[in-house]
Amino acid sequence: MLGFISDRLVRLEMGLAALMAAAVTLLILLNIGSRSLGMAIYWVDELAIYAMVWTTFLATSVALKRRQVVAVTLLVDLLGRGTHAWIQLLCDLMILTFALALLVLCWRWLDPVTFASGGFDIKAFQGDTFNFVYSEKTNTLGVKKIWPWLILPFFSLSLTLHALNNLLGSLKGATCVKGAVQ
Amino acid sequence: MTFAVFFILLFLSVPIALVLALTALWYIGTSGNSVLFDSYPQQLFGAIESYGLLAIPLFMLAGELMNEGGLTSRLINLARILVGGFRGGLAYINLVANMMMAAIMGSAASQIAIMSRAMVPAMEKEGYSGSYAAAITSAGGLLSPIIPPSMLFVLFGVLAQIPIAEMFIAGILPGLLMSFLFFIVIALVGLVQQYPKGDWPNKAQRREYLLMGLPAASIPLVIIGGILTGLATPTESAALASLAALLIGKYIYKDLKFSQLPEILRRTALNAGMVIMLISAAGVFGWVVVYEQIPQAAAEWIAEQTSDPFIFMLMVIGVLILVGMVIDGIAALILVVPILLPIAQDQFGISPYQFGVVVCLTLVMGLLTPPVGAGLFIGSSMTGIPPMRIFKSLIPFLCATLATLVLLAAVPELVLALI
Amino acid sequence: RDFRLGLITPPPHRWTQAAEAFAEDVKQKSGGEHSIAVFPSQQLGNEAQMVQQLQTGALDMAFLTVAEISNRVPDFGALYAPYLVDNIDQAAALLKSDAAIELLDQLPAEAGLVGVGYGMAGLRQVMSRDQLESPADLEGKKLRITPFEPIRDFYMATGAAPTPMPLPAVYDALANGQIDAIDMDFDSILIFKFYERSDKMLISNHMMFPMVGVVSGRIWKDLSAEDRELLQTSMRTQLDAVIDHFQALEKEQEMELRGLDITIHEATKEDFADAIAEWETIWSEKAKSLPSLRKAAAEIKGS
Ligand code: NA
Ligand code: NA
Repeated sequence: MLGFISDRLVRLEMGLAALMAAAVTLLILLNIGSRSLGMAIYWVDELAIYAMVWTTFLATSVALKRRQVVAVTLLVDLLGRGTHAWIQLLCDLMILTFALALLVLCWRWLDPVTFASGGFDIKAFQGDTFNFVYSEKTNTLGVKKIWPWLILPFFSLSLTLHALNNLLGSLKGATCVKGAVQ
Repeated sequence: MTFAVFFILLFLSVPIALVLALTALWYIGTSGNSVLFDSYPQQLFGAIESYGLLAIPLFMLAGELMNEGGLTSRLINLARILVGGFRGGLAYINLVANMMMAAIMGSAASQIAIMSRAMVPAMEKEGYSGSYAAAITSAGGLLSPIIPPSMLFVLFGVLAQIPIAEMFIAGILPGLLMSFLFFIVIALVGLVQQYPKGDWPNKAQRREYLLMGLPAASIPLVIIGGILTGLATPTESAALASLAALLIGKYIYKDLKFSQLPEILRRTALNAGMVIMLISAAGVFGWVVVYEQIPQAAAEWIAEQTSDPFIFMLMVIGVLILVGMVIDGIAALILVVPILLPIAQDQFGISPYQFGVVVCLTLVMGLLTPPVGAGLFIGSSMTGIPPMRIFKSLIPFLCATLATLVLLAAVPELVLALI
Repeated sequence: RDFRLGLITPPPHRWTQAAEAFAEDVKQKSGGEHSIAVFPSQQLGNEAQMVQQLQTGALDMAFLTVAEISNRVPDFGALYAPYLVDNIDQAAALLKSDAAIELLDQLPAEAGLVGVGYGMAGLRQVMSRDQLESPADLEGKKLRITPFEPIRDFYMATGAAPTPMPLPAVYDALANGQIDAIDMDFDSILIFKFYERSDKMLISNHMMFPMVGVVSGRIWKDLSAEDRELLQTSMRTQLDAVIDHFQALEKEQEMELRGLDITIHEATKEDFADAIAEWETIWSEKAKSLPSLRKAAAEIKGS
């Protein structure tokens, strides 16, 4: 079940990341075009930057799920195959740790329960909590900053699923290999 | 202890971006400033919310489209007409092309992205080792922020409050010096590992190469023209190049099908995303470190060790190489310049131009040093060659860069003569 | 206590020097009990990130441009009313007036900040690559601004195309014609030699550029009365010194620019009358404090 969700999710993320990468280039072309026609559009750069940031988090989630990552494999290469699976396990555990930590931090930051229990009243929420996250605005787009920020809780949640799935996989791998060695 | 956590995670082969992000979390936890946890997610986002970084996906896509559209191979054939028969011809062409690109572009990351995709496969085909080809290309990318224009110099100018035009001029001699040393390195390496000797194309081939190469040659023209006419910023010029490469690859060479676009975009997203995530994590790491005032303490320590400007500069270079291993480029510049520049100017009487060129070049070098080196990873993801193999081939070039740095630290005139 | 103060300007800038002087003063007056570490050049993040850190209490104090504040509390847009003041002396007096100080009362509830007082930079001017003799020449020009609404609305009203752009990008953008003109103060024009790339200047003095010294609301509520008093007095003194500095510098810098080989024209309130009227229709709604600030400005002008 977890594997199924994780696989589906990663396809969605990859597609969305590619779309965002295309959006970056298209927006910049729009910027060049509109400016040269003397109708410079104020918000294009900021939107392109958000598309890039979204690409980054989505692609990172995909890369971590597929283990297509940049890492120092010096020690792993030195040690034999028997330890390899165990290091993989530890490594997956670290990724899960990060994902969970980010999830918790996002939860604290966005404080959705307090926000909801106050009926999503921004003024009341920031009066109570001194947390101004929901009233922050983007510089030029004229929308609330919370919309682009939402990629963070999404990323941490999705990464948690992927990492948990990978961890279970490598747990099987590690115990199997160990069994074989014994 | 934080150091230990960093290295343990690193050697457990945890992805480097997460090594930095987790170390930052650990450090916040142990520092007692747990209030930083509440800003952590936002910093992760904010660290990459920057216009300059757009160059990375933009130039990566341009590189992909040029390659898939068959433009790259035709550009190389064009170069073959000129140097095809010389031993090591492509190695020198690579460096000259990089010098020319550096005179247009201002960011090493963008230049490495587009040049690796163009040069490395061609050089491999002709018999060069892939890692050496990638090393020349990445080293050539270091010229980008030194030979004007330069994003790093502009930022340094703003941080130091000095005129940007003068800062650009200050980069000319150092840029030429470094190019010269790179030429020597290429020649020396050629003595050791005999470069492949290509063939001179015959007359019919020359005609074909020239004819077929002309449309592809419009790409550099699109980039240069876009910038010089004010149509596009250096960053935006990549989008123009992508558009041109798409049209040429699809309608002139007919090598590219629209059905390939999704795969090209997926690859761009994945490659760009991984590099930018590193920058995000390094940014958060840097933020925590600065918040704890560690660089400030280190700077004070350095200043106490000596009263000689040259020794001071050498120590700064040494420390910045260490900094550059983990945090490179613009993020590192913002981190260290406000701390080190006042000391260099007030206590040692060093010219801000000399200091700026040395600091920028040292930090740029960090793009190519493990464990965290955006340039190394961009080169690797555009060529498929593991970063550490590129790094090994890069060592002679990094030594040449180091030699340039020591010369610049010793002889201020190299920087100041033209200003 | 060890406090942290962040700001965007680099170490040589007058704002940063004021922050350092404030740190030194607090250290002395508290007999070493308090210290303040200054983080210049956006070392802890840009202004939006600093505001967030002030709100959580990770950062204790900051010097912020009012531009950043006005993006959160629109009433602060009133300080950017075109020709609210006619010259730098009036700007200095207005920013020290009760009407301006009263604006700060909104900060705790609206942004989680405690406003201590104002500083400033020089008045805004326009520079252009090509002809700029009067506001009419702004029509259709791509003009770089820092992105905040009051200034955007002003330039839209003049017929220019305001383009947001970070300061480091400006010099190149002017050189290659990606932008035609910039909105800038004398100080920055001289430091970065923007006149080398855009040698037509309109001395318009059309807008103030105030800065505000703030303390985190979370930190403030836990401070003792005497600590508050100490921080407030000392910071105000240094902020006032910043105002005095730019007030004194403005005339010198204008002389220096007039001595250079650049084409200079002047513009007054009357030349911008249409744009001001358009700005007014937007901002009289958003910025309720506009009348009281105008009243204070009129008193200053009358005296
Ligand atoms: Na360059
Ligand atoms: Na590095």
